[in-house]
Amino acid sequence: MPLNWTWEWDPFKEFERLQEELDRLFEWMSPFRPLRGEEVYPRINVGEAPDKVLVYIFAPGVDPKSVELSLEDNLLSISGERKAEEALEVEEVKPERFARRERFSGRFSRVISLPESVDPAQVEAEYRNGIIVVSIGKKEAHKAKKIEVKAA
Amino acid sequence: MAERKEIAPREETVVSARKRVRAMVPPVDVYETDDGLILLADMPGVSKDTLDLKVEDNVLYLKGTIVETPGEEVSPEYVEVRGREYFRAFTLGPEFDQDKIEATFSQGVLRLFIPKHEAEKPRKIEIKVA
Repeated sequence: MPLNWTWEWDPFKEFERLQEELDRLFEWMSPFRPLRGEEVYPRINVGEAPDKVLVYIFAPGVDPKSVELSLEDNLLSISGERKAEEALEVEEVKPERFARRERFSGRFSRVISLPESVDPAQVEAEYRNGIIVVSIGKKEAHKAKKIEVKAA
Repeated sequence: MAERKEIAPREETVVSARKRVRAMVPPVDVYETDDGLILLADMPGVSKDTLDLKVEDNVLYLKGTIVETPGEEVSPEYVEVRGREYFRAFTLGPEFDQDKIEATFSQGVLRLFIPKHEAEKPRKIEIKVA
Protein backbone atom coordinates (compact mmCIF):
# COMPACT_ATOMS: atom_id res chain seq x y z
CA MET A 1 0.00 0.00 0.00
CA PRO A 2 1.50 3.32 -1.00
CA LEU A 3 2.01 5.75 1.79
CA ASN A 4 -0.09 8.83 1.63
CA TRP A 5 1.62 11.87 3.01
CA THR A 6 -0.97 14.45 2.08
CA TRP A 7 -2.91 16.25 4.77
CA GLU A 8 -6.21 15.17 3.29
CA TRP A 9 -5.61 11.62 4.36
CA ASP A 10 -8.98 9.94 4.21
CA PRO A 11 -9.00 6.36 5.49
CA PHE A 12 -12.20 5.65 3.63
CA LYS A 13 -10.45 6.56 0.42
CA GLU A 14 -8.16 3.62 0.98
CA PHE A 15 -11.21 1.38 1.27
CA GLU A 16 -12.46 2.90 -1.97
CA ARG A 17 -9.18 2.41 -3.77
CA LEU A 18 -8.97 -1.22 -2.71
CA GLN A 19 -12.54 -1.83 -3.76
CA GLU A 20 -11.93 -0.31 -7.15
CA GLU A 21 -8.95 -2.54 -7.67
CA LEU A 22 -10.96 -5.58 -6.66
CA ASP A 23 -13.82 -4.54 -8.94
CA ARG A 24 -11.45 -4.29 -11.87
CA LEU A 25 -10.02 -7.68 -11.08
CA PHE A 26 -13.42 -9.32 -10.83
CA GLU A 27 -14.68 -7.69 -13.99
CA TRP A 28 -11.82 -9.37 -15.79
CA MET A 29 -12.05 -12.70 -14.11
CA SER A 30 -15.66 -13.35 -13.46
CA PRO A 31 -18.47 -13.97 -15.91
CA PHE A 32 -20.88 -13.14 -13.10
CA ARG A 33 -21.34 -9.43 -13.19
CA PRO A 34 -23.18 -8.08 -10.20
CA LEU A 35 -26.76 -7.31 -11.17
CA ARG A 36 -28.93 -4.66 -9.66
CA GLY A 37 -31.29 -6.26 -7.21
CA GLU A 38 -28.91 -8.99 -6.15
CA GLU A 39 -28.15 -7.54 -2.80
CA VAL A 40 -25.38 -8.92 -0.68
CA TYR A 41 -26.72 -8.55 2.82
CA PRO A 42 -25.15 -7.55 5.06
CA ARG A 43 -22.06 -6.03 3.45
CA ILE A 44 -18.97 -6.06 5.61
CA ASN A 45 -15.83 -3.92 5.94
CA VAL A 46 -12.93 -4.89 8.15
CA GLY A 47 -10.24 -2.50 9.31
CA GLU A 48 -7.25 -2.98 11.52
CA ALA A 49 -5.94 -0.54 14.12
CA PRO A 50 -2.76 -1.04 16.18
CA ASP A 51 -4.67 -2.38 19.19
CA LYS A 52 -7.94 -3.67 17.73
CA VAL A 53 -9.80 -4.98 14.72
CA LEU A 54 -12.95 -3.15 13.63
CA VAL A 55 -15.75 -4.85 11.72
CA TYR A 56 -18.46 -2.73 10.10
CA ILE A 57 -21.55 -4.76 9.27
CA PHE A 58 -23.88 -2.75 7.05
CA ALA A 59 -27.23 -4.10 8.20
CA PRO A 60 -29.89 -1.40 7.80
CA GLY A 61 -33.32 -1.97 9.25
CA VAL A 62 -32.79 -5.10 11.32
CA ASP A 63 -33.99 -5.70 14.81
CA PRO A 64 -30.72 -6.13 16.78
CA LYS A 65 -32.48 -8.73 18.90
CA SER A 66 -32.94 -10.95 15.85
CA VAL A 67 -29.23 -10.83 14.98
CA GLU A 68 -26.86 -13.48 16.21
CA LEU A 69 -23.22 -12.56 16.32
CA SER A 70 -20.46 -14.90 17.45
CA LEU A 71 -16.70 -15.07 17.38
CA GLU A 72 -14.83 -18.35 17.49
CA ASP A 73 -11.08 -17.95 17.31
CA ASN A 74 -10.82 -15.58 14.37
CA LEU A 75 -14.08 -16.51 12.64
CA LEU A 76 -16.88 -14.01 13.01
CA SER A 77 -20.37 -15.32 12.23
CA ILE A 78 -23.44 -13.22 11.77
CA SER A 79 -26.92 -14.49 11.10
CA GLY A 80 -30.42 -13.21 11.45
CA GLU A 81 -33.47 -12.19 9.57
CA ARG A 82 -34.69 -9.00 8.00
CA LYS A 83 -38.30 -8.61 6.99
CA ALA A 84 -37.83 -5.81 4.48
CA GLU A 85 -41.52 -5.17 3.94
CA GLU A 86 -42.13 -4.38 7.60
CA ALA A 87 -40.77 -0.90 6.97
CA LEU A 88 -43.65 -0.24 4.57
CA GLU A 89 -45.91 -0.02 7.60
CA VAL A 90 -48.93 -1.26 5.71
CA GLU A 91 -51.37 -3.70 7.17
CA GLU A 92 -51.40 -6.22 4.37
CA VAL A 93 -48.53 -6.38 1.88
CA LYS A 94 -49.70 -7.34 -1.60
CA PRO A 95 -46.80 -8.54 -3.77
CA GLU A 96 -48.42 -7.29 -6.98
CA ARG A 97 -48.30 -3.72 -5.69
CA PHE A 98 -44.51 -3.56 -5.76
CA ALA A 99 -43.20 -1.46 -8.62
CA ARG A 100 -39.64 -2.18 -7.52
CA ARG A 101 -38.26 -4.68 -5.09
CA GLU A 102 -34.50 -4.49 -4.67
CA ARG A 103 -33.98 -4.49 -0.92
CA PHE A 104 -32.88 -7.73 0.67
CA SER A 105 -35.51 -9.64 2.58
CA GLY A 106 -35.30 -12.92 4.45
CA ARG A 107 -32.74 -14.86 6.45
CA PHE A 108 -29.05 -14.13 6.13
CA SER A 109 -25.90 -15.79 7.36
CA ARG A 110 -22.30 -14.86 6.77
CA VAL A 111 -18.95 -15.94 8.16
CA ILE A 112 -15.87 -13.81 7.84
CA SER A 113 -12.31 -14.61 8.78
CA LEU A 114 -10.49 -11.94 10.79
CA PRO A 115 -6.79 -11.48 11.44
CA GLU A 116 -5.51 -14.17 13.82
CA SER A 117 -4.46 -11.58 16.35
CA VAL A 118 -8.03 -11.02 17.60
CA ASP A 119 -8.87 -11.88 21.17
CA PRO A 120 -12.40 -13.33 21.44
CA ALA A 121 -12.45 -12.25 25.09
CA GLN A 122 -12.48 -8.57 24.14
CA VAL A 123 -15.50 -7.99 21.92
CA GLU A 124 -17.92 -5.11 21.85
CA ALA A 125 -20.73 -4.53 19.37
CA GLU A 126 -23.04 -1.60 18.85
CA TYR A 127 -25.78 -0.83 16.31
CA ARG A 128 -25.54 2.72 15.01
CA ASN A 129 -27.32 4.22 11.98
CA GLY A 130 -27.88 0.80 10.49
CA ILE A 131 -24.29 -0.37 10.93
CA ILE A 132 -23.25 -2.95 13.50
CA VAL A 133 -19.80 -1.88 14.62
CA VAL A 134 -17.85 -4.72 16.21
CA SER A 135 -14.64 -3.85 17.99
CA ILE A 136 -12.33 -6.72 18.91
CA GLY A 137 -9.19 -6.22 20.95
CA LYS A 138 -5.94 -7.85 19.89
CA LYS A 139 -4.00 -10.34 21.95
CA GLU A 140 -1.21 -8.64 23.84
CA ALA A 141 1.55 -10.31 21.83
CA HIS A 142 0.12 -9.00 18.54
CA LYS A 143 -0.29 -5.37 19.46
CA ALA A 144 1.84 -3.00 17.49
CA LYS A 145 4.56 -1.57 19.67
CA LYS A 146 5.87 1.91 19.37
CA ILE A 147 9.61 2.14 19.18
CA GLU A 148 11.01 5.23 20.67
CA VAL A 149 14.01 6.79 19.09
CA LYS A 150 16.27 8.11 21.76
CA ALA A 151 18.49 11.03 21.19
CA ALA A 152 22.11 10.15 21.69
CA MET B 1 -53.86 -5.12 -16.69
CA ALA B 2 -54.17 -2.29 -14.31
CA GLU B 3 -52.44 0.90 -15.26
CA ARG B 4 -49.20 1.24 -13.40
CA LYS B 5 -48.14 4.65 -12.23
CA GLU B 6 -44.53 3.98 -11.60
CA ILE B 7 -41.95 6.51 -10.91
CA ALA B 8 -39.34 6.11 -13.54
CA PRO B 9 -35.82 5.55 -12.33
CA ARG B 10 -33.13 7.97 -13.31
CA GLU B 11 -29.74 6.44 -13.14
CA GLU B 12 -27.35 9.25 -12.56
CA THR B 13 -23.95 9.39 -11.08
CA VAL B 14 -23.26 12.13 -8.66
CA VAL B 15 -21.34 15.11 -9.91
CA SER B 16 -18.72 15.34 -7.29
CA ALA B 17 -15.58 17.29 -6.73
CA ARG B 18 -13.93 13.95 -6.08
CA LYS B 19 -14.18 12.72 -9.63
CA ARG B 20 -12.91 9.26 -9.01
CA VAL B 21 -15.47 8.40 -6.39
CA ARG B 22 -18.76 7.10 -7.69
CA ALA B 23 -21.65 7.35 -5.29
CA MET B 24 -23.30 4.16 -4.15
CA VAL B 25 -26.78 3.41 -5.42
CA PRO B 26 -29.09 2.53 -2.55
CA PRO B 27 -31.44 -0.39 -3.25
CA VAL B 28 -35.10 0.62 -3.10
CA ASP B 29 -38.54 -0.88 -2.77
CA VAL B 30 -41.40 1.04 -4.34
CA TYR B 31 -44.88 0.07 -3.26
CA GLU B 32 -48.14 1.50 -4.50
CA THR B 33 -51.11 2.10 -2.25
CA ASP B 34 -54.45 3.69 -3.10
CA ASP B 35 -53.22 6.99 -1.68
CA GLY B 36 -49.72 7.16 -3.09
CA LEU B 37 -46.34 5.49 -3.24
CA ILE B 38 -44.15 4.24 -0.44
CA LEU B 39 -40.45 4.30 -1.24
CA LEU B 40 -37.97 2.51 0.99
CA ALA B 41 -34.23 2.99 0.52
CA ASP B 42 -31.35 1.31 2.36
CA MET B 43 -28.69 3.86 3.25
CA PRO B 44 -26.73 2.35 6.14
CA GLY B 45 -24.36 4.70 7.93
CA VAL B 46 -26.31 7.84 7.08
CA SER B 47 -27.85 9.87 9.91
CA LYS B 48 -30.77 12.27 9.80
CA ASP B 49 -28.32 15.16 9.63
CA THR B 50 -26.42 13.86 6.63
CA LEU B 51 -29.48 12.85 4.67
CA ASP B 52 -30.39 15.25 1.88
CA LEU B 53 -33.75 14.95 0.15
CA LYS B 54 -35.15 17.31 -2.42
CA VAL B 55 -37.53 17.57 -5.34
CA GLU B 56 -36.50 19.76 -8.23
CA ASP B 57 -38.12 19.89 -11.67
CA ASN B 58 -40.18 16.80 -10.90
CA VAL B 59 -37.10 14.85 -9.93
CA LEU B 60 -36.78 13.39 -6.46
CA TYR B 61 -33.18 13.29 -5.25
CA LEU B 62 -31.96 11.03 -2.47
CA LYS B 63 -28.52 11.85 -1.14
CA GLY B 64 -26.71 10.80 1.99
CA THR B 65 -23.28 10.64 3.55
CA ILE B 66 -22.00 7.96 5.90
CA VAL B 67 -21.31 9.68 9.22
CA GLU B 68 -19.04 7.24 10.91
CA THR B 69 -15.67 6.70 9.32
CA PRO B 70 -12.77 4.72 10.67
CA GLY B 71 -10.09 6.76 12.36
CA GLU B 72 -6.75 7.47 10.75
CA GLU B 73 -5.12 4.62 12.61
CA VAL B 74 -7.40 2.09 10.93
CA SER B 75 -6.14 0.44 7.77
CA PRO B 76 -8.52 -1.48 5.51
CA GLU B 77 -8.26 -5.27 5.66
CA TYR B 78 -11.30 -6.33 3.69
CA VAL B 79 -13.74 -4.09 1.84
CA GLU B 80 -17.24 -4.52 0.47
CA VAL B 81 -18.58 -1.02 0.95
CA ARG B 82 -16.60 1.66 -0.76
CA GLY B 83 -17.17 5.34 -0.48
CA ARG B 84 -19.27 7.45 1.78
CA GLU B 85 -21.87 8.90 -0.54
CA TYR B 86 -25.23 7.55 -1.63
CA PHE B 87 -27.13 8.99 -4.55
CA ARG B 88 -30.23 8.13 -6.51
CA ALA B 89 -32.83 10.11 -8.40
CA PHE B 90 -36.38 9.36 -9.55
CA THR B 91 -38.69 11.24 -11.88
CA LEU B 92 -42.10 11.84 -10.35
CA GLY B 93 -45.24 11.66 -12.45
CA PRO B 94 -47.72 14.56 -12.44
CA GLU B 95 -50.20 12.52 -10.39
CA PHE B 96 -48.11 12.95 -7.26
CA ASP B 97 -48.29 15.84 -4.84
CA GLN B 98 -44.66 16.89 -4.43
CA ASP B 99 -45.44 19.31 -1.62
CA LYS B 100 -46.76 16.66 0.69
CA ILE B 101 -44.03 14.04 0.69
CA GLU B 102 -43.44 12.62 4.15
CA ALA B 103 -40.09 11.18 5.19
CA THR B 104 -38.93 9.12 8.13
CA PHE B 105 -35.48 7.68 8.66
CA SER B 106 -34.50 4.96 11.07
CA GLN B 107 -31.42 2.72 11.37
CA GLY B 108 -30.30 3.30 7.80
CA VAL B 109 -33.71 2.86 6.18
CA LEU B 110 -35.44 5.81 4.55
CA ARG B 111 -39.21 5.66 4.18
CA LEU B 112 -40.92 8.15 1.91
CA PHE B 113 -44.62 8.50 1.37
CA ILE B 114 -45.41 10.27 -1.88
CA PRO B 115 -49.14 11.04 -1.93
CA LYS B 116 -51.28 11.19 -5.05
CA HIS B 117 -53.34 14.28 -5.77
CA GLU B 118 -56.89 13.87 -4.54
CA ALA B 119 -58.24 13.61 -8.08
CA GLU B 120 -55.93 10.67 -8.82
CA LYS B 121 -57.04 8.51 -5.95
CA PRO B 122 -59.29 5.65 -6.89
CA ARG B 123 -62.87 6.28 -5.92
CA LYS B 124 -64.96 3.55 -4.53
CA ILE B 125 -68.24 3.16 -6.30
CA GLU B 126 -70.85 1.77 -4.09
CA ILE B 127 -73.28 -0.61 -5.66
CA LYS B 128 -76.63 -0.22 -4.14
CA VAL B 129 -78.92 -3.13 -4.03
CA ALA B 130 -82.24 -2.16 -5.44
